[in-house]
Amino acid sequence: MLTVNNLTKVFNQGTINEKIALDRVQLHLDPGDFVTVIGSNGAGKSTLMNAIAGTFLPDQGHIILDGKDITKLPSFKRAELISRVFQDPMSGTAASMTIEENLIMALKRGEPRRLRWALKGKERESFREELTKLGLGLEGRLTTKVRLLSGGQRQALTLLMATLKKPRLLLLDEHTAALDPKTAEKVLNLTCSVTEKSHLTTLMITHNLEQALAVGNRTLMMHDGRIILDLKGTDRNNMSMNRLLEMFEKASGVHMNNDRMILASTF
Amino acid sequence: MFPQIAVGTLEQGLMYAIMVLGVYLTFRILDYADLTVEGSFTLGGATAAILIYNGTNPWLATAIAFAAGCLGGTFTGFLHTRFKISPLLSGILTMTALYSVNLRVMGRANVSLLKARTIFTDFKNLPGMHTYGVLVLAFLTIFVLGVLLYLFLKTELGLAMRATGDNELMIRSLGVNTNGMKLLGLALSNGLVALSGSFVAQNQQFADAGMGIGMIVAGLASLIIGEVLIGTSNLGRTLIAVICGGIIYRIIIAIALQMGLGPTDLKMITAFIVIIALAAPNMKFKVSALSSAARGKETNYANSK
Repeated sequence: MLTVNNLTKVFNQGTINEKIALDRVQLHLDPGDFVTVIGSNGAGKSTLMNAIAGTFLPDQGHIILDGKDITKLPSFKRAELISRVFQDPMSGTAASMTIEENLIMALKRGEPRRLRWALKGKERESFREELTKLGLGLEGRLTTKVRLLSGGQRQALTLLMATLKKPRLLLLDEHTAALDPKTAEKVLNLTCSVTEKSHLTTLMITHNLEQALAVGNRTLMMHDGRIILDLKGTDRNNMSMNRLLEMFEKASGVHMNNDRMILASTF
Repeated sequence: MFPQIAVGTLEQGLMYAIMVLGVYLTFRILDYADLTVEGSFTLGGATAAILIYNGTNPWLATAIAFAAGCLGGTFTGFLHTRFKISPLLSGILTMTALYSVNLRVMGRANVSLLKARTIFTDFKNLPGMHTYGVLVLAFLTIFVLGVLLYLFLKTELGLAMRATGDNELMIRSLGVNTNGMKLLGLALSNGLVALSGSFVAQNQQFADAGMGIGMIVAGLASLIIGEVLIGTSNLGRTLIAVICGGIIYRIIIAIALQMGLGPTDLKMITAFIVIIALAAPNMKFKVSALSSAARGKETNYANSK
């Protein structure tokens, strides 16, 4: 499904601030894989995701999605294949537009925008159905401006928007990190049910070790721009959080001192 | 019979409202402070005036003025999207360049259209249009443009343009080329501004190289006045607010002139209107804090009874 081959990205090359963000990363995802990605700050998780989404071009290597080399494609042309949910609930929706307007834009993801009436009754009906499934009472508020929704509601809406038109690859960049624990759990449950139902290939960054092991079928650990651990199958089932933490320290040769990660793991 | 001054003010207000629609498109929809307006307003007036002066059909001249404005906006958009020049600076650069272009277009500092055939003289010749011909034509134009813009902003393309101004990252990730949207928006916006310039020039029967100076601030003042007085709860209402803002602004100007202020003072008045409008949210906060404190006292008093 997704193959990342020898992907390298260096920021501020040739300066004192040179930073190898991605160091010859190799990765292959099978269709339907739900992969969680962990690693300390600056490990390259988000850089990897941005490279796949096309936020910047890599210095070396190739990204092949669904048999198509997308390495050099600008981000808006990858939209047909890839959809994303960001950490910030504000960044996935257009605040000054209504819920139905946001949804119809998401439904047209990757299609050319034409000079024709955007919203039709038939689509409104299906939006109402989809929103009912979120269980947030948004189905009766199609013409409400998104600005008036809470962070959790906006993130749930963003998730719905990302999956309304089935993507080949779903990228989730710590999409529950900015939410309160209860809302985060709800959004995560929604994520699991929608990816399972539509059999989506998913890459999810998380800082929560428990979440990383509980969700999905495979876990990657990154450090210094490399994937240092790739857990799947029985290895993953037998893995405990503490052992994962130990393995991280051993593999990276660095004592685990990322407050956020330790705090997250105590949940 | 309305007094002539009231009719004149209304006519002007309707014509300038076309420009305000253009400013709304960039400033609010695209979130792009576009100073090209100062140059493209004159460009529209100059293009229409010189074409009419040389005997072109005035309706055709007006259409060409619109197209010229679109070109001006496209140039600004090109500077911004292609060379990553900031919105403010790319507008200033185009505006400056357009000053020379406008003088070239006219061949001198101003062109008089006295006794020339314009869209207004044509329209006045229609039966029953003699007295209020200018008013009716200006009203019909703004009405049609307002409806067209409303419809456009509800299309797939229009939604993508609105989202570009609202959340560029998001709409890019949904597969929209936001640079294309900005180019289109700037072109349409400056087309409208130039159309407004061509109407104003034909109505006042001359075009002048300086007729666009201060136009962006006048546009912003109108926009803000309309939004505050009429409201922006939905798109249709906002568009009505924008158009009414343009008219109300002209009425304020007319009143200021009637009160004895000179035409040279107008730019200062306009600037003050915008300053007040922009400062109002801050002041409102203070006023409401004061008044709620006052209310608090009242309730305390009521409770103590």
